[in-house]
Amino acid sequence: MPDSLLLLALVCLPFLGALAAGLLPTRARDAASGIAGTVALACLGLVWAAYPTVSSGGVLRAEFAWMPTLGLNLTLRLDGFAWLFAGLISGIGALVVLYARYYMSSDDPVPRFFAFLLAFMGAMTGVVVSGNLVQLVFFWELTSLFSFLLIGYWHHTAAARDGARMALTVTGAGGLALFGGVLLIGHIVGSYDLDAVLSAGDRIREHPLYLPALILIVLGALTKSAQFPFHFWLPHAMAAPTPVSAYLHSATLVKAGVFLLARLWPVMAGTDAWAWTVGLAGLTTLLLGAYIAIFQNDLKGLLAYSTISHLGLITLLLGLKSELALVAAIFHIINHAAFKCSLFMAAGIIDHETGTRDIRRLSGLNQSMPFTARLAMVAAAAMAGVPLLNGFLSKEMFFAEALTAEAPLSPLLNILPLAAMLASAFSVAYSLRFIHGAFFGPVATDLPRTPHEPASWMRLPVEILVLTCIVVGLLPAATVGPYLAIAVHGVLGDDVPYYSLAVWHGFNLPLVMSLIALAGGVMLYALLQQRLRGDVEGPPLIRRLDAQRIFEQVMVFLSWRLARRLETLLGTRRLQPQLRLIVGIGLLAGAGAVWLRGFGPGNLPSTPVDPVLALVWMVGAAFALGTAWQAKFHRLAAVMLLGGVGLVVCITFVWFSAPDLALTQLTVEVVTTVLLVLGLRWLPKRFQVAGDRGPEVLTRTRRARDLAIAVGAGCGLAALSYAVMTRVPPELLASHFLERAYTEGGGTNVVNVILVDFRGFDTLGEIFVVAAVALTTYALLRRFRPAADSVEIPEQQRDQDGATQHDDAVRPTADWLLVPFTLTRLLFPVMLVVAVFLMLRGHDLPGGGFSAGMVVAIAILLQYIIGGAAWTEAHLRLRPQIWLGAGLLIASGTGIVAWFFGRPFLTTYFAYAELPLIGKVPTASALIFDIGVFALVVGATLLMLVALAHQSVRGHRAAPRRVGSRAGEA
Amino acid sequence: MTHAADVPLWAAVPVAFLLLIGAGLALAGSIGLVTLRSFYDRMHAPTLGTTLGIGSILVASMLYFSILQTRFVLHEILIAAFMVVTTPVTLMLLARAALYRDEREGNPDAPPRRPTPVQD
Repeated sequence: MPDSLLLLALVCLPFLGALAAGLLPTRARDAASGIAGTVALACLGLVWAAYPTVSSGGVLRAEFAWMPTLGLNLTLRLDGFAWLFAGLISGIGALVVLYARYYMSSDDPVPRFFAFLLAFMGAMTGVVVSGNLVQLVFFWELTSLFSFLLIGYWHHTAAARDGARMALTVTGAGGLALFGGVLLIGHIVGSYDLDAVLSAGDRIREHPLYLPALILIVLGALTKSAQFPFHFWLPHAMAAPTPVSAYLHSATLVKAGVFLLARLWPVMAGTDAWAWTVGLAGLTTLLLGAYIAIFQNDLKGLLAYSTISHLGLITLLLGLKSELALVAAIFHIINHAAFKCSLFMAAGIIDHETGTRDIRRLSGLNQSMPFTARLAMVAAAAMAGVPLLNGFLSKEMFFAEALTAEAPLSPLLNILPLAAMLASAFSVAYSLRFIHGAFFGPVATDLPRTPHEPASWMRLPVEILVLTCIVVGLLPAATVGPYLAIAVHGVLGDDVPYYSLAVWHGFNLPLVMSLIALAGGVMLYALLQQRLRGDVEGPPLIRRLDAQRIFEQVMVFLSWRLARRLETLLGTRRLQPQLRLIVGIGLLAGAGAVWLRGFGPGNLPSTPVDPVLALVWMVGAAFALGTAWQAKFHRLAAVMLLGGVGLVVCITFVWFSAPDLALTQLTVEVVTTVLLVLGLRWLPKRFQVAGDRGPEVLTRTRRARDLAIAVGAGCGLAALSYAVMTRVPPELLASHFLERAYTEGGGTNVVNVILVDFRGFDTLGEIFVVAAVALTTYALLRRFRPAADSVEIPEQQRDQDGATQHDDAVRPTADWLLVPFTLTRLLFPVMLVVAVFLMLRGHDLPGGGFSAGMVVAIAILLQYIIGGAAWTEAHLRLRPQIWLGAGLLIASGTGIVAWFFGRPFLTTYFAYAELPLIGKVPTASALIFDIGVFALVVGATLLMLVALAHQSVRGHRAAPRRVGSRAGEA
Repeated sequence: MTHAADVPLWAAVPVAFLLLIGAGLALAGSIGLVTLRSFYDRMHAPTLGTTLGIGSILVASMLYFSILQTRFVLHEILIAAFMVVTTPVTLMLLARAALYRDEREGNPDAPPRRPTPVQD
């Protein structure tokens, strides 16, 4: 099988299996576990198929281009070290699947469990076979995610939810740190490729960014491997089903951290910084974990802290400046996976058969489940480091390293052997507690269930693992030797130090230390009997130092107090402060620009002020001031004055020969005013109370400040406009457009040619925005519920309706406004003609699709205003949505047609068409585009205005009873 | 404006006269809008400007441009037509709103409402 296919299958098979398992029905326990087991065994087979290449020192590589320009490729790389881990993942995965098949209750949604488990397996395999650091981080985060889902599998319990969240928070934050570290490494090396990184060790260690990169990567590894001070999430993760604990929290997930440390060991280790961070974290965790483990009353809690402690041992070994320590670390990774996984499974069997995991309640299980008891005893002995078992061998290596290692400071060197012995004694004590507490003593009588031996298939994985412990312990060189050699070669390359995997090294210091630790552990357990039987929770001396409590305090601070404080400080639901903030920032930005660059006169000579225009502008300014003045209590007056301002702007455009702008301004002004007036109806009323004492001092100050901001921003904008309009850059884009409008765009109206041709793509984007805005307005207004005090029908409307109650209800306004009504109906076709005229001539003369669309919208609006919504809709079938959609289709269709002629999107074509009666007419494909704009503008404007207008109709319908009763009274 | 000097005197005099008439009517209407007492009175004043006033100006415009371009320039007629059609709409809407409001507020200055006979 080619390497690339093998590697791809190794990573993808679990994910495909997860997908298949996830699609199974909820109760399909056997099918799901069958899929999971098959996938795990297939992966194991694939790993085995890679053995010939790997054992000869080769590396399997496969690369799939993804973003080659950024150095990001999907690179899969399987060397000896990754091979060992892949083997552990798939092998233990297969055993855990078998175990989980019998552990999981048929009431649980088991396919989901196996889907998550398989996905986790894929992610974990992805981590170990990644040949690219960014890709490694990606899979790393995936493992955090699937671990979260697996811990929270029984999400109906609060413990599972909290544990899952805590694990995700800690490991996710670590993953973020790791990503930062990886980016730094990539920056130092210039490549994310693992091979390139591994060959750039000296460059990395000497780079000034080495320390930040180291800290970030170590943070990622320590959080994942539950090292002090991030160890607290692992005990809480024990809320997961036991197979998950056995798989993720002993053998695989938590090993990802030490895997990464070992992976980067050749390039990052060897410095004092590495020894201090990694070594010290490992040492602290080793002691602390082992100490706390003794005092755990929960079987799984004990195993969790023991796992933390053993991972601390591995981390400590990786932190020592010695290749032999690395060998010991890798060896212990294998051994720990074997005995801890079997112990978790044994704890799960006890929990499954008795219904409790509390050591104080359990007792004498040796009577009812002797076989399981034997298996657990062997595994616990391996954990304690009893000779002739695998745990003993790696512990011996650790002792030997503790005696000989170089440390950055000599005191650390002196306490290392002592610390090692102490931790070992602790581990003997908690192993004893596990065995003695659960299996010996008088037979417990108050257990939730009557204990008995589990199904033999459920015990099989434990048997296999315990057998491994014994065989490795007896014949290390013959069994695990070659694989360990491959793995060490994978990390260290050719400079593998000499090490011996013998059971008997002679009567030396490490052996003495082992014996002292064994004896000390037994004595410690005997001395602590009294205390351990009591009801005191938690370990003595450091009970107050609860990492979990600190974590929760930090989380409460971050996610609640800090967030709230920031929200009250920076956020507001009131519009005025938001506006103040926006305008203030705009003002500051403008002032900053002026302050940096100065404010000089422009390069254009000033023109004399025309008195007429000045007068017009003074009127406009008066309107604007009046608008602001009236906005508080007389909104209608403010809207009318605003319309005056718009007219003055329109006159200004005409004055300066910008008919296109004037036309647009006029139509937009009309539509805007109608829109505002329609909206006014729904605003809460505001009255000026006669005897009002006037605003308070605080309000006065606030208003003065707002006035200052407003005046400042207005003057600033005026100054900015003045500055822009009084200077001409040497290369003016406008002259370019002026030159080419006719020759290349086929139109003499440059504004229109720019809109539909030169900048057609911009226009296309804009009309899509307009369409989105219109649809959003429509959607929002459909669910609009007016405030309580504006629900009531306005007085005039009430009077009118009351007066016409006995009349023909269909045409109320027609009777009242016959003359205006008739006149507007007469005007309607005329306005449509004007619109068509404006659109057709738009390319050469003032006009265009936009203003034409506005004119049509205004024409229909007039019918609404005079005739009323009911009458207009009975006589005119408006389909704003269709107009909208047609406009978008026409406009983008015009652009697409250019493709059929082999031109880029939105290329226009123009020619002269011969029309009967009219003669030669210039036509351009831009006209069709303009028709699209026209249709869109009609649709969007009508959609919004009609939606607003219908609010009144709806409010009218909402309160018919009151109207009826009033009419009845009258 | 630039070709104003090319217009012969026999035409310039009526054009100027018409313009002045129009402007004067508009001014009178505006003054009336400010000084007249009740809303209903005021409503009539601007019609001076929108009917005869704008009419004179439009005739002046037609005359001036027809002579200047030596052809009939007649599209001012359209403007006049639209003015005639649209002005009453505005005024009637305004008057109606004012009537309703006065009736609501019980304003004594409001014109008495004609009792509406029910026509069936």
